[in-house]
Amino acid sequence: MSDVRDPLYTSLAQRVIAILWPSFLTAGLATVLLFTWIDPAELSLYVPGAEGVTRLGAYSAGFFGLWAITAVSSALTSYFGRPAGR
Amino acid sequence: MSKAATPPEGNEQEFYAKRAKVYPREVHGLFARLRTAGVLGLLGIFYGAPWLTWGDRQAIWFDLPGRKFHVIGWTFWPQDFFLLALLLIIAALSLFFFTTLAGRLWCGYACPQTVWTEAFLWIERRIEGDRSAQMKLDKAPWGGRKLAIKGTKHAIWLIFALFTGLTFVGYFTPIAELMPRFFTFQTGGWETFWILFYAFATWGNAGFMREQVCIYMCPYARFQSAMFDKDTLIISYDEKRGEPRGSRKRGVDPKEKGLGDCIDCTLCVQVCPTGIDIRDGLQYQCIGCAACVDVCDQVMDKMGYPRGLVRYTTENAMEGKVTKVLRPRVVLYALLLLVLMAGLLYGIMSRNPVGIDVIRDRNVLFRELPDGRVENVYTLKLLNKSDSLREYHVEIRGLEGAELVIDRVMPVPVPAGGVVELPARVRLDPVVLDAPTAELVFIARVAGEPDAGNERAGRFVGRMR
Ligand code: SF4
Ligand code: SF4
Repeated sequence: MSDVRDPLYTSLAQRVIAILWPSFLTAGLATVLLFTWIDPAELSLYVPGAEGVTRLGAYSAGFFGLWAITAVSSALTSYFGRPAGR
Repeated sequence: MSKAATPPEGNEQEFYAKRAKVYPREVHGLFARLRTAGVLGLLGIFYGAPWLTWGDRQAIWFDLPGRKFHVIGWTFWPQDFFLLALLLIIAALSLFFFTTLAGRLWCGYACPQTVWTEAFLWIERRIEGDRSAQMKLDKAPWGGRKLAIKGTKHAIWLIFALFTGLTFVGYFTPIAELMPRFFTFQTGGWETFWILFYAFATWGNAGFMREQVCIYMCPYARFQSAMFDKDTLIISYDEKRGEPRGSRKRGVDPKEKGLGDCIDCTLCVQVCPTGIDIRDGLQYQCIGCAACVDVCDQVMDKMGYPRGLVRYTTENAMEGKVTKVLRPRVVLYALLLLVLMAGLLYGIMSRNPVGIDVIRDRNVLFRELPDGRVENVYTLKLLNKSDSLREYHVEIRGLEGAELVIDRVMPVPVPAGGVVELPARVRLDPVVLDAPTAELVFIARVAGEPDAGNERAGRFVGRMR
């Protein structure tokens, strides 16, 4: 196998996996750290409009929010990792 | 960019060709039996564990909404986070330890990806037939029969995946209530979402992605080779003995034909779940499942050759040297593991069963009372990490002349593994303060146990700067 480039970059599907998967892992880790530190039920006492938020809802939303952010980071890395001028 | 950095189109074609669907052939033998035992054992634990009870609750229950993890007799709180961190470090280090000793034992026998893929393959084989039947079916044009077979397979896969998703969420929400609620469409939005999400991930990973998860997504697969040395147990083809490979009739003396022991039947390639040829040498795609060992041993038996043309061995053994089990890094990992495990055990044993948290009321900084004193409002959280009911007294210290007002009868009962929230007010004449704010300490004491207690500092705001 002539390994000129990482096989990860050969197809769109693999590229998408290479962006979403590491960001999923890091977002999971960040979610655990964030919510061990902060209790969303306490937070909802002080954030206006957040009274009805349940802990499970906050955890889930927090996870997807963090995933979105880490995915942007992964996507940028992937984008800048490409040879320029194509 | 220079031409060298951008590979020609042909290269991508090659990768696509290489990533053709793998149809692993079913294999029987010693290691296949071991793997089946591993798969059944681990699936049994996964699907069975949430049904165990301890006292009047689920024995293993990661109560995220309640911010408590119950593991048999223990209850862990966010404050015990360092124990979880320690546990994860121990898990990682054990993986290093076993990898150095025995290579990718984890991948071949215990990784969830392997376990569920094996289960999905088993279902697939019962429905679509063996490897050649599966390949024929995939090549055949779509029609009633193909639709029926594929439909049945996916229906069974999906039911299995859904049950897996349900069980997974059952670790976080009591499973005995979750199951009936799910089947009567009474699960909450997020619960339903996570059940379906996990079911979908199971179906996708075990049904479609399979070896690609190991090759493209698994971080461990990428760095495990760094833990290998020449004494690590690997699966290897005995090139000296096998080559030159070539087909021959049974009973023909290979030496006469100038051949080695490999009859080039390619069975070892056909059984390989990652679609590689072990005869090309050690590759990072090899998950060490030993399917090729089993099948080649059968071939050797049929041919009347000794077993072990493909076998568990070490690089040193292949080169005719002695394999050392106790190497410096193995000893080091083992010692480190022992120390960390002792630390974890000590950490769990010496946990203070009494916990107190102080949360200031953030809406009002302070309030002036008619008598000239200043009042601060707090919420106290009293935690009982033990497995029996305890009664707590609450006091303050560190702030001369301050009065603690709690509208509850002391002592306050706190249930086993429970939290009680207590609104508390502290009143103080601000003239005694020489700064705008001061620190005070809240103390929780267990009634009848003079040594049991815990304390936590809080801040008192006396006036604006
Ligand atoms: S199964 Fe054994 S004999 Fe057959 S091709 Fe593989 S190594 Fe050679
Ligand atoms: S080469 Fe052999 S041990 Fe490695 S993954 Fe393939 S069948 Fe399993």
